[in-house]
Amino acid sequence: MLDIPLKVFRYKTGQAPGYDVFRVQVAETANVLDAIEAAWAQHDRTLTFRHACHHASCGSCAMRINGVERLPCITPVRDVYRGQGELLIEPLRNFPIVSDLVVDVSGFFRRMSASSLVITRTAETTLPLTADAPGDGLATQPVQIAEGLARFNRFENCVECGICISACPTMATSDKFLGPAALAGIYRARLECDDPAEKARLLELADGEHGVWRCHSGWECSAACPQNVNPAEAIMALRRDLIWHRFKKLFGR
Amino acid sequence: MLTPLQPSRVRRAARWADVRHRGLGMIAYVLNRITGIGLVVYLYLHLAVLSLLAGGPGAWDPFITLARSPLFLVLDVILIAGWLINGLNGVRVTLTGFGVGVGSQKAMFVGLMVVAIAGLIVMALMVFGG
Repeated sequence: MLDIPLKVFRYKTGQAPGYDVFRVQVAETANVLDAIEAAWAQHDRTLTFRHACHHASCGSCAMRINGVERLPCITPVRDVYRGQGELLIEPLRNFPIVSDLVVDVSGFFRRMSASSLVITRTAETTLPLTADAPGDGLATQPVQIAEGLARFNRFENCVECGICISACPTMATSDKFLGPAALAGIYRARLECDDPAEKARLLELADGEHGVWRCHSGWECSAACPQNVNPAEAIMALRRDLIWHRFKKLFGR
Repeated sequence: MLTPLQPSRVRRAARWADVRHRGLGMIAYVLNRITGIGLVVYLYLHLAVLSLLAGGPGAWDPFITLARSPLFLVLDVILIAGWLINGLNGVRVTLTGFGVGVGSQKAMFVGLMVVAIAGLIVMALMVFGG
């Protein structure tokens, strides 16, 4: 068993923000989310934090661990706690804090939906899809997806965890900036779109002072992303496309 | 009724300079801001100093004597460092903004900063040697 002092950020409406230290015992193989759940179960049931899937699929548990944005559900305690000091747990930055480790992500999701995302997770669509076969329930059979339907899967490499927003230094000063996740979404949507009018609309969406031009190349979104979405590369690609588009317009093409 | 906690604008803006736990990209980002602000301050100082010319040789010559002092030469070298870092890092930001070298932005930063240090050594020798 590991014996860990968790130093957790606390905030409740009407109270001053601060930190509480909880000493928890967790298994050697525990992830940080297990330790936070232990603090909740053993010490304080008013501790609020968001979580769901426990395997990096939902992105809802994103927070800062020792100052670094991570998904605690897949972060082993042994990777971040070396047996000295306290394990610091804080909410994501650049979001309003609702309670303890829970932040208000509504603005983030509004920006994400503005990009009209239709992103297909390449890693999953390249795998053969299977389902339980009738009978003993142990065998599987291949699933045939009708032609043209696979592209509408809503599985994404981006799990919309908000880590890129927290890591982005530009987001610290502008709530209007579309942000790395939404811009990466626009880029992917453009890649998968065959309609020239829709492609142009998406490019227009990425343009403007709150679009790709607001990014000041800190590259922290790509460094922090737990799913290797690489939003910074998508932003730079959108800039390149916008420059090329304007260049062509200049010469009347 | 929940009242979300919003850090003050000053506290949020301070994150621009917070490089703790951050990567090379963020260090480059902060360096560009520090040198950029330094160069803007220098521009106004430069204009203020040039205005001494309006006072004739009586105002200008004592400044030239001061400008040749070791302290001023050190400030000159700091200015050159800011100019080199900001300019060369600016080349990297411009190239990546055009989609060039995006995958190697870290290597580009390291390479350009090596050039900046080499240039700074040469120019510092010229400042103190000349």
